[in-house]
Amino acid sequence: MGLLDRLSVLLGLKKKEVHVLCLGLDNSGKTTIINKLKPSNAQSQNILPTIGFSIEKFKSSSLSFTVFDMSGQGRYRNLWEHYYKEGQAIIFVIDSSDRLRMVVAKEELDTLLNHPDIKHRRIPILFFANKMDLRDAVTSVKVSQLLCLENIKDKPWHICASDAIKGEGLQEGVDWLQDLSTATTWKL
Amino acid sequence: MAAASSSDSDGCGVESNEANLKWLDAHYDPMANIHTFSACLALADLHGDGEYKLVVGDLGPGGQQPCLKVLKGPLVITESPLPALPAAAATFLMEQHEPRTPALALASGPCVYVYKNLRPYFKFTLPQLPPNPLEQDLWNQAKETVITTMTTLKKNLADEDAVSCLVLGTENKELLVLDPEAFTILTKMSLPSVPVFLEVSGQFDIEFRLAAACRNGNIYILRRDSKHPKYCIELSAQPVGLIRVHRVLVVGSTQDSLHGFTHKGKKLWTVQMPAAILTMNLLEQHSRGLQAVMAGLANGEVRIYRDKALLNVIHTPDAVTSLCFGRYGREDNTLIMTTRGGGLIIKILKRTAVFAEGGTEVGPPPAQAMKLNVPRKTRLYVDQTLREREAGTAMHRAFQTDLYLLRLRAARAYLQALESSLSPVSATAREPLKLHAVVQGLGPTFKLTLHLQNTSTTRPVLGLLVCFLYNEALYSLPRAFLKVPLLVPGLNYPLETFVESLSNKGISDIIKVLVLREGQSAPLLSAHVNMPGSEGLAAA
Ligand SMILES: Nc1nc2c(ncn2[C@@H]2O[C@H](COP(=O)(O)OP(=O)(O)O)[C@@H](O)[C@H]2O)c(=O)[nH]1
Ligand SMILES: [Mg+2]
Repeated sequence: MGLLDRLSVLLGLKKKEVHVLCLGLDNSGKTTIINKLKPSNAQSQNILPTIGFSIEKFKSSSLSFTVFDMSGQGRYRNLWEHYYKEGQAIIFVIDSSDRLRMVVAKEELDTLLNHPDIKHRRIPILFFANKMDLRDAVTSVKVSQLLCLENIKDKPWHICASDAIKGEGLQEGVDWLQDLSTATTWKL
Repeated sequence: MAAASSSDSDGCGVESNEANLKWLDAHYDPMANIHTFSACLALADLHGDGEYKLVVGDLGPGGQQPCLKVLKGPLVITESPLPALPAAAATFLMEQHEPRTPALALASGPCVYVYKNLRPYFKFTLPQLPPNPLEQDLWNQAKETVITTMTTLKKNLADEDAVSCLVLGTENKELLVLDPEAFTILTKMSLPSVPVFLEVSGQFDIEFRLAAACRNGNIYILRRDSKHPKYCIELSAQPVGLIRVHRVLVVGSTQDSLHGFTHKGKKLWTVQMPAAILTMNLLEQHSRGLQAVMAGLANGEVRIYRDKALLNVIHTPDAVTSLCFGRYGREDNTLIMTTRGGGLIIKILKRTAVFAEGGTEVGPPPAQAMKLNVPRKTRLYVDQTLREREAGTAMHRAFQTDLYLLRLRAARAYLQALESSLSPVSATAREPLKLHAVVQGLGPTFKLTLHLQNTSTTRPVLGLLVCFLYNEALYSLPRAFLKVPLLVPGLNYPLETFVESLSNKGISDIIKVLVLREGQSAPLLSAHVNMPGSEGLAAA
């Protein structure tokens, strides 16, 4: 049973489809993470970094995932923002080894949090400080500092370090989402 | 939030609240120990892994320990010593086939060191100069020259990732173009002075233009088939940078100014900087098609100009001596600057940032975005559009014919007016006069005031007469004839007369006013005064 199936079993009690948005800068590891979350038989082998604007969508029993890169110069911006409305949980992936673009990730996160379709909703956000296995990677505590996560007061959030290639840390994140759902903090 | 982190705030007009929100501060290390100038910086995906690296030809502190550094993000990943001070760094594609990882060229002394995958690949050395016969005894050995500047020139394709030749400028006033693979000299051009900055556009095999800013303060422009300069721009000062922006050559000079020139050397504009220019480079924002010039100034500002319009000012903690803009790491619009004290500053242009001139938005005014309540297209409209599409040429011709006829008619009427002196302004150069008339009163008595002005600048006018022509059944004037006093140039002379309306039926008519020269029957000028209808009854 894939991690996702476990999650959907729990959430499935609600008998309603849950839309999860998986976002982050290009090359942060979204596709790799989502592939690990997919049922094992559906995991695709070769993962190429997503270039330009592409949206990956897939469904598994009661969960639907929408994955996209927050890249580019605004031309595609309103395309992806269009999906904010339907999202009921967010997974935000950060490449912890990309020190230089941490400011860009923060900028994108701030823009996301200030978007009218997100701002006033208690939508849970799970952060993956990904690529923790790399030598240049900073700790998840440091990532959370750099992104000023302590300023997020009106939404449940959680950060965990991950190595998407080995699948490490993903479980912890998924558990957090599960706990949240059983505690009915998830207002679906 | 911006106040604490961003350093490009406060002050002048361009730095509105918007402008200081343009850049993200990605990295600042005042102790990075990088000492260089813009020509020695290059950005490229050296490993072909999508992660762009920064190449620095470093002079070392005080120019003492020159070395080649390669940076990944904020960190130096390789460092190797150089035998002489670097003159320029460039990255270029040597060959067509995959993998298309660019080679790195570093000019230093008489050599160009070429690296592939950051491993030494080839060393090109300038050919030795033939010794001067007079110096033969003294030298008995060949003289050596050095490279002063280097750039790249596409071989035969215009593509972004086309194979490129290296172009070298040397201390013995020559320009060399090297073959991208064999590093043989493809062509040699000579200049009247030592080149220090080069700008090249076009393709070597097809057509190219080369601009070389030289130590004698001149910029020479050469074409593909010219062994010698075709045009010359004479600056009145030394060049400190040369950047081609679209079709304009932008030159910075030691007189603290930027100048724009065409490719034929015609000066387009000049802008004055508040301080000495230390370094210059091109800012190219591909996603918005923007090209602009960045200039690092001695007062710690980096100014960004599109032509002569200031787009943005960045304040840095130390004067910037080298800068470059482009894709770094995985982010497209990254600005890399090094400072006089050896610091490294990396800023990333916000993805939502748009440069606008003088703080005011360029592009369409906001009203243009407003939705208009446009009515549905009518049948008539559609028919008309079709007709216009089909008979466009004929309609245009008919319009042009009418326009010419109108112009002809206007010209004829004007000519006639001039010939019969019907106009209120005289046409002869000898009698420059202006006349206008004012009628006051309700009637039956009106006051008619003529304002006569000698519009010459120096000559007074003497011996003029004014004569009124009118229907004597309708009007009576005390005198139909006035003598005009001497007209001093420029002054306005009001000449008054009363006009009595004789008609009881409210009929009004025209009174013609003629200005004549004594002894001549043709009037100098004339005016038709449209008399108003009388509101009161005639006395008689
Ligand atoms: N070392 C390491 N590499 C990772 C990790 N996660 C993803 N990658 C690699 O990072 C690159 C980009 O991953 P991808 O999932 O395509 O990123 P996306 O653009 O966000 O979808 C790929 O080469 C992945 O193999 C990780 O945790 N550690
Ligand atoms: Mg992807």
